[in-house]
Amino acid sequence: MPLGDFTPLLARPARAGRADGPATVSRRRPRTGGLSSERLSPFVLIAPAVAVIVLFRLWPLLLGVNFSFTGDGARNGSAVGLDNYAELFADPLFLGALRNVGWLVLLLPIAVAIPGMLATFIYLRVPGHRFYRSVYFFPAVLSPVIVGSIFNLLLSFDGPVNSLLELAGLGPIDWLGDSDVAMFTVVGVHIWATFGMSLVVFLSGFATLDPALLDAARSDGASLPQVIRHVIIPGLSRTIQFVFVTTMIGMLTSMFGLIYVMTSGGPGGSTYLPEYYIWIQQGQMNRPAYASAASTVLFLVMLVVGLAQVSFLRRTGRED
Amino acid sequence: MRGARISRWLIALPMALLALATIYPLVFTGNAAMKTRRDYILDRFAFTDTLRWDNIATAWTSAGTARYFLNSVIVVAGASALLLLLGSMAGFALSHLRFRGSRALFLGCLAALFVPFQVIMVPLVRTMADTGLVDTYPGLILAYTAQYLPFTIYLMTSYYSAIPTEITDAARIDGNTTYGVYRRIMLPMGRPALLSVGVLNALFCWNDVLIALLMMPSAEHRTLMVGVTSLRGQYSADIPTFASGVLIAAVPVLAVYLFFQRRIADAVTAGSTKG
Repeated sequence: MPLGDFTPLLARPARAGRADGPATVSRRRPRTGGLSSERLSPFVLIAPAVAVIVLFRLWPLLLGVNFSFTGDGARNGSAVGLDNYAELFADPLFLGALRNVGWLVLLLPIAVAIPGMLATFIYLRVPGHRFYRSVYFFPAVLSPVIVGSIFNLLLSFDGPVNSLLELAGLGPIDWLGDSDVAMFTVVGVHIWATFGMSLVVFLSGFATLDPALLDAARSDGASLPQVIRHVIIPGLSRTIQFVFVTTMIGMLTSMFGLIYVMTSGGPGGSTYLPEYYIWIQQGQMNRPAYASAASTVLFLVMLVVGLAQVSFLRRTGRED
Repeated sequence: MRGARISRWLIALPMALLALATIYPLVFTGNAAMKTRRDYILDRFAFTDTLRWDNIATAWTSAGTARYFLNSVIVVAGASALLLLLGSMAGFALSHLRFRGSRALFLGCLAALFVPFQVIMVPLVRTMADTGLVDTYPGLILAYTAQYLPFTIYLMTSYYSAIPTEITDAARIDGNTTYGVYRRIMLPMGRPALLSVGVLNALFCWNDVLIALLMMPSAEHRTLMVGVTSLRGQYSADIPTFASGVLIAAVPVLAVYLFFQRRIADAVTAGSTKG
């Protein structure tokens, strides 16, 4: 679900500046003799967490990369070099999935601008801002499965949305059955479901903005677009950066549920994303090694997109 | 000033429409769940005048939903508890104890945050299968714990860092060991953060479908979200029952949201403003 992807990008080790912390071990040792359990206590406290993370998160990453150079089925386990990757980039389904990633990158500014604008209005206290804040956030806590199921109902060809369109004199749209439309429908539903999350992040960024700056701009007679351009965007550059990266990660890693429920990758493979492709290959097609190659490509894509965004936003941030 | 006030109302109108678009889909689903099949086909939009619970009862009993619900509760409770325990222990160690390699461990934990599940799922499932953990409750609980632990540790570490060392020093002078400090000081003082991150983790686990699909292949171990995905095929001609299944899966989330809205938002934004 979307929530899972709000990783604290701008984190800095919380221990910074804590060098004067208690030198527990050495202080207690002389008094109580050996006391090895006390001496080992930090490791005892942290060992279970480290074990879980290493075993089930970091180690599989290496294992997967390694695995992607081996074969499936008859060639199970034998080294096949780059065969999996060559096959991957010859598969129209996978290329389609990558093209859809391209669409996501292009749609990203919209997915960031919508919550950004709404957060600005809420911050400027439009009537009912408290209400909007909690209502907008609500879909973000719903599972993609629930969201997808509901929109399956609403967007089916003879469904309520089309009958509303008919009332307005507009022809029915095959939201999920038309291969030119389906991907945008799914992305639209994803944005509907997650914009509240970015909104809340924006609002917490606004809380760090100096209100005196806004007052000064207003008393100088600045219009709303001017305030946004010259006060809010520069003041929130870190938050905007954070939202860009987390929204991108969210689009690349938490749309599985929606695709699974709404389109199953169809029609005609038009709504495949890499994560769905990986799932199909490893489960339905029983080709885990090949799926690992797709995983490795997804990881590289995310790394490249993430780093490109950060450096791009840094540069534009500096120009301001 | 007057102009500003008018433009505020102009903005408020589309925002109100958007709010409607945010709530209405769930209202529609709830309304559909209360109708008979015939009523739904005749008029989907009209609000039902009677509350009929038999669709809910059908969805609950006949489609295995009750079993799936129980599975979800077991797994979510297990994973949330384990996450809180491991996360608070590690957070305490990383924030207040000085030991060799603590900084490297913290950075490793941050790095793990950026490894998405999709990238590791193939080898992870193989490892789980090799150790006999696939299709067991502990297996899924461990998978969830691994997935959300880095975030939990990050949050607990930054929360605990704000607790002054004077307090832990005083506890030590009173004769507490490190474990005593953890149990008597850190756990009680960490309660607000533990509640926030606990609620958030529970939501993550409850809502997940991909990990559950991979880890629980057999029908009797399905979680509720996986169960909901199979309802659609089962009740394609009976929308009210299908809507009832969706509602059963959504209501616990709705309840948690109404109670803990602020806490959820706090936990979500905790990462964004630091640094």
